[in-house]
Amino acid sequence: MEVGVAGLGLWMPGFAGVASWLAGVPDAEVDVPSGVSLGRVNRRRAGVLGRALADAIAESFDDSGVDPSVVPTLVGSSIGEAKTMVGILDQMWRSGEPVSPAAFTVSVHNAASGLISIAHRNRGYASSMAADAATPAASLYEAMGLVATTGSAVAIVCGDEPVPFDLVSEEMSWPLLAAAVVLVPLDGQHRVRARMRLTREAPVTIEPPEVSDDVARHPQTGLLDLVDAVARGASGCVALDRRGGVDRALITNEVST
Amino acid sequence: MLIPRVRPVPITGYVNLNALGSTRAQILEGLATGTTGLASPSEPWGVDTAVGEVRAELPTLDGELAPWSTRIGGMAALLVAGLDEELRRARARWRSERIGLFLGTSTGGATATERAFQHYVAEGHLPPDYDFVRQHTFGALLHVVATLTGARGPGWVISTACTSGSKPFATAQRLIAADMIDAAIVGGIDTLCALTLHGFHALQALDRQPCRPFHADRAGISIGEGGALALLERDGEARVVLEGVGETSDAYHISAPHPEGLGARTAMEAAIAQAGCSPGDIHHVNAHGTGTQLNDVAEAKAISEVLGNDVPVVSTKGYTGHTLGAAGAIEFAFAATVIEEGWIPPSLGAAPVDPAVAINICTERTSGTFRRVLSNSFAFGGNNVSLLVRGP
Repeated sequence: MEVGVAGLGLWMPGFAGVASWLAGVPDAEVDVPSGVSLGRVNRRRAGVLGRALADAIAESFDDSGVDPSVVPTLVGSSIGEAKTMVGILDQMWRSGEPVSPAAFTVSVHNAASGLISIAHRNRGYASSMAADAATPAASLYEAMGLVATTGSAVAIVCGDEPVPFDLVSEEMSWPLLAAAVVLVPLDGQHRVRARMRLTREAPVTIEPPEVSDDVARHPQTGLLDLVDAVARGASGCVALDRRGGVDRALITNEVST
Repeated sequence: MLIPRVRPVPITGYVNLNALGSTRAQILEGLATGTTGLASPSEPWGVDTAVGEVRAELPTLDGELAPWSTRIGGMAALLVAGLDEELRRARARWRSERIGLFLGTSTGGATATERAFQHYVAEGHLPPDYDFVRQHTFGALLHVVATLTGARGPGWVISTACTSGSKPFATAQRLIAADMIDAAIVGGIDTLCALTLHGFHALQALDRQPCRPFHADRAGISIGEGGALALLERDGEARVVLEGVGETSDAYHISAPHPEGLGARTAMEAAIAQAGCSPGDIHHVNAHGTGTQLNDVAEAKAISEVLGNDVPVVSTKGYTGHTLGAAGAIEFAFAATVIEEGWIPPSLGAAPVDPAVAINICTERTSGTFRRVLSNSFAFGGNNVSLLVRGP
């Protein structure tokens, strides 16, 4: 099955968007995601992960021109709101304080998904998933199933924030990162940047961008690599997991062909 | 509202684990006799409430899976063992790369992390056997079940709080329709943990006694644990058939339901539309029915608007507690049991029913032919799922 890639989005420290990423010069002032699309009240509810996811998916909505009030949305994250959870445990067992009800309600994995649906008044499909470093591939498979059976565009955003340092060794650290794509059916109704299909174990022909070690080990870097390839107009095979996973995206850029 | 174009999918096996027991006989006994599985917790969670604990002895994961051995891993192993015969048959029919694995959980390995964090606070370091990746993450549960079942197709965990256990059914149905897989193992598993007990306590949503969904004086929820797995195949001898799934959002509030049950209503309507049947074809509803004032009234309004007031409705949370990320899968299994057994268990603790609830809450065991059943699940984030299951 082949689909179109119609929109891209990205947020990571130094890069508030795909254009900034392509320019390749990090902006030191981009250190906290704005979450502006969430609105004032829900922006306050969201943590930094939720804001980064919101910023990236909002960019992909704008880039693709899809209607965010109706498009199915998928949020992928390997560890989700683990930092919020550890904060609550810290409240309970180190500080001896009662649990904050507000913190508890946004400790669920789908907190960002819910806040995004509220912000865009989207009463349709919304989901939230995880599959470690295979999360980008899993999200793309789930989206392909939706495109195939609904004929609708589907928005995907994958992101993770640093693992709570208390829980892991320093070698497992990675920065905040969120990347987004909008997939559409190839029905002539949508402007398409690239055509894409998924496969496994094909030789990788598109070299991923050079990134620091901590970004390279980020579980969502596979989606960053796909965004980068599509944005640069590349055609070929992209690995969706830099940790040795087998999932690949075969892309044919509509600009270059 | 987008309605995926899918075909009915045979469910060729399922297995259920909860506070009523780990075997079909134990669970049927509890439902038939109206016996709750809720009781005082066996370990001190620091919250005064009843819980629905799994009391079955759980296997310890060994060999290459030893580092993944946690409570949720043990529950997963027990469930997989219960589905062994069906899985063997499926592996003989379908290439392992064409068998998907879609699991729901909200807690994942939170229990392991809580114990590790308590150790960290007391001792200043994590316990040596704690492994965040293999014990905490949702990917750990996925790895355990993939290893035990041999499923090598697409696989992931869906975590949408209390709809986590329902959404995998929809994923499997779509991927089979899109010819991306031939079969799928789906379900949901959650364990009791301090985070959810203290969190719902902070929201003042916990009943101190066993919960009483739809009761006039209901006082909140009871938390439970458990899981259920089901095997969906492109074709095969169905025990029940998945006809439709509605997945919607309230787009209203992060934790409160839409007061008119808007998303709940549209989820049920979408499931019925996808199945190509009409509201009059629905013979029973397993409600989300948590036992909170707001949830039960909003859901009852939604059911009334979609199905009228006569369809028999139960909440089974009086038996198991609210099993959160497992609830959708466990309650699918209850819905399937009603179809197969021809009786609806009493909605435990519901009598006298809240006068604000106009629908037909079954307070007595009710026998009959129940061909099509809706099972509702609603979640934080305003996430709503309704499964429509029918007899073969």
